[in-house]
Amino acid sequence: MDIAIRFRDLTLGYDRHPAVHHLDGEVESGALLAVCGPNGAGKSTLLKGIAGTLAPLAGSIALPRLKSRDIAYLPQAADIDKSFPINVFDVVAMGLWKRCGPFGGISRSETAKIRAAIAAVGLEGFEARAIATLSGGQLQRMLFARLLVQDAAVILLDEPFTAIDSKTVADLISVVSAWHEEQRTVLAVLHDLDLVREHFPQTLLLAREEIAKGKTDAVLTRENLLKARSMIEAFDRQAQACARAA
Amino acid sequence: MAGARYVITSILVSLAMTGAGPVRAQTPAKLPVVATFSILADFARNVGSDRINVAALVGPDGDTHVYQPKPADAKELGAARLIVVNGLGLEGWIDRLIKASGTKASVIVATKGINPQQMREEGRIGPDPHAWQSIANAKIYVANIRDGLIAADPAGEAAYRANAENYLGKLDTLEAEVKREITKIPPGRRQIITTHDAFGYFGTAYGFRFIAPEGVSTETEASARDVAKIIRQIKARKIPAVFLENVTDPRLVRSIAAESGAAVGGTLFSDALSPPDGPASTYIDMMRNNIRELAAALAN
Amino acid sequence: MHDLLIAPFAEFAFMRRALAGSIALAIAGPPLGVFLILRRMALTGDAMAHAILPGAALGYLAAGLSLGPMTLGGLAAGLIVAVGSGVVARTTVLREDASLAAFYLISLALGVTIVSLRGSNIDLLHVLFGSVLALDDATLILLAMIASLTLAALAALYRPLVLETVDASFLASVSKSGGPVQIIFLALVVLNLVGGFHALGTLLAVGMMMLPAASARLITEDMTAMIGLAAAQGILAGYAGLIVSFHAGLPSGPLIILMAGLLYLLALVFGPAGGLLRRLKPGRHLEA
Repeated sequence: MDIAIRFRDLTLGYDRHPAVHHLDGEVESGALLAVCGPNGAGKSTLLKGIAGTLAPLAGSIALPRLKSRDIAYLPQAADIDKSFPINVFDVVAMGLWKRCGPFGGISRSETAKIRAAIAAVGLEGFEARAIATLSGGQLQRMLFARLLVQDAAVILLDEPFTAIDSKTVADLISVVSAWHEEQRTVLAVLHDLDLVREHFPQTLLLAREEIAKGKTDAVLTRENLLKARSMIEAFDRQAQACARAA
Repeated sequence: MAGARYVITSILVSLAMTGAGPVRAQTPAKLPVVATFSILADFARNVGSDRINVAALVGPDGDTHVYQPKPADAKELGAARLIVVNGLGLEGWIDRLIKASGTKASVIVATKGINPQQMREEGRIGPDPHAWQSIANAKIYVANIRDGLIAADPAGEAAYRANAENYLGKLDTLEAEVKREITKIPPGRRQIITTHDAFGYFGTAYGFRFIAPEGVSTETEASARDVAKIIRQIKARKIPAVFLENVTDPRLVRSIAAESGAAVGGTLFSDALSPPDGPASTYIDMMRNNIRELAAALAN
Repeated sequence: MHDLLIAPFAEFAFMRRALAGSIALAIAGPPLGVFLILRRMALTGDAMAHAILPGAALGYLAAGLSLGPMTLGGLAAGLIVAVGSGVVARTTVLREDASLAAFYLISLALGVTIVSLRGSNIDLLHVLFGSVLALDDATLILLAMIASLTLAALAALYRPLVLETVDASFLASVSKSGGPVQIIFLALVVLNLVGGFHALGTLLAVGMMMLPAASARLITEDMTAMIGLAAAQGILAGYAGLIVSFHAGLPSGPLIILMAGLLYLLALVFGPAGGLLRRLKPGRHLEA
């Protein structure tokens, strides 16, 4: 079995306070893994670490046989500037950056790919629309289309369905399932446990440290969830330097 | 406790020092004089010689029209016994500064008794303050300054009168020299363009026309129409030369000269003396420099 | 008509020069202004114009009102402030606006102090308000070079700049060019301001950069059109300002900016992409 991501005693955090503490483990290639846990459990932080935007405080994250262009990351609150005069097509086309760079033109086949991606998320006909006119759900669809175009081996989604209407959620979940069928590795931070139980075969329950990881039904038990919830949410201001595992 | 002790000590020390004051005042101190700008300071120095200490608020190459006073200036005024100002609206800032400094000095207006010319500034007619450009007026300046010094320091009357007499004689010589140089310039060529409209009195006294592309003070900015008019004027009247002056932007003048075919003359000094190592560090040197530069550019 | 609109330029070389200089500024400045506006950096231009002062002042102290030293000095000061505030914004808790404000205020105070050291503060005015009527050949060439360089750089950096503006975190996730692009952009702004101050003075140079751009923003939603329109308005403002200055006898530099301002006000009221009239009377709604 190929390993897509390997954590070795990973600690990630801000200003020396750990948000993810001593995480150890692996994610196989092609896994469809939900990352769950209470607020402040370090889920977004973990994704940022994998995406490479946050450097570990200790330990390591390895992505064997993968280059940075093989990872696509959808952050939690897209800080996309909606008032910028740009249309849906051009935003989705940004997904080709890794291939075209700052100057490369977009070939005919790539244009077709972009249009296909836009159609796949149910935004056909919206190509020329200014993004300022999009609703929350439409914006999220557009960002998913961009992910499609990025054609990455590893896809990281941070709370992709928060405040999105159920029809959009349903449509986008089928995109995720399609990714799974294409053997892409997908990690998604999610709060809706019903959604997780229904569509995600694997789950990592995180409460700063790993509570459980494996098949979703085995992980999302009442015991485990209680354990996770009892975790301290706030950073401990009196915390000493961590003495565990160097 | 320490604070109170400090205060009491300082008060006692200050009282002691004031007590010592009158003892030191036996030796004659120089009369502190402050002039608003370098030309007035030069006159004052020539009349007061070593009986006085002169300081100028606006130094060499400075622009008295738009000068921004510094706190040190108020201090200087406060310590002065005589203040020499030009008047005729040259120093818009001096009255407030005198008031702010709380000085007890007497103020001499050097242009007292001079019948001012009019000039056009920002579309309105007002008195032209640059009266010193006529040597005859300069003599009146010197006389006023002499009288002011005598009033502030009666003990030095003899010295002041002698110095003034001496200097007035030098000014007479200067005037003869200027008039001689002018005869070398053909009458049709006695006109120039310069950036500063400060030579009105010189023009009237010695038969010259000074035409400026900008208004009197350097605050007004040129309009395209003004520049066009000057260029047309130069071409039409065949004005032979354009002169730079030491306080405004020379780029504009060079641009006008280039287009109109006039020659660019040397530097004329109008509102301020040059620094000590320059060609116009005293009033007499300034006038000599100016007439020589004019003759050089226009005589042939 | 000819007398009114063409003759001044036909008759006078200084008018032709002034127009050429204004056109050079208008081609490069407003496109940068469009990006400044879209990046919410509209006041940065003004701040940077002040930041340039000590550099230009040092150049002036060294060599008087001359092209080379003042340009280099202004450029150096501007770049130090641009890069410095960028670095501070990326590495400390202060954001761009605070870090830039801190730098430019220090810079401005330094500039005023340096100039007053020379004794004569009159030339400070000419550092701030250059004269579009006094452009000599060397300055024109400088302006033309700056314009060409700016256009070339904008063409090359167009995509990353747009991306950095719209979705900076996405750009950061796919490329390391975000930081450099931001700094190059600021450097271009500094370069154009330095060029602008020779012709119009620093304060007015910012006006030429921002007003046509703001106006274009109100007229169109399409980026390319916006940039083209901004440049066109800059050129129009330059021409109109010079013509009116010629016939009415008013100072040229400020008048050029006032013309740009007038175009902006027209766009504010009538602009199809957000002007007041559109908002008040949108017309009948569409079918879908």
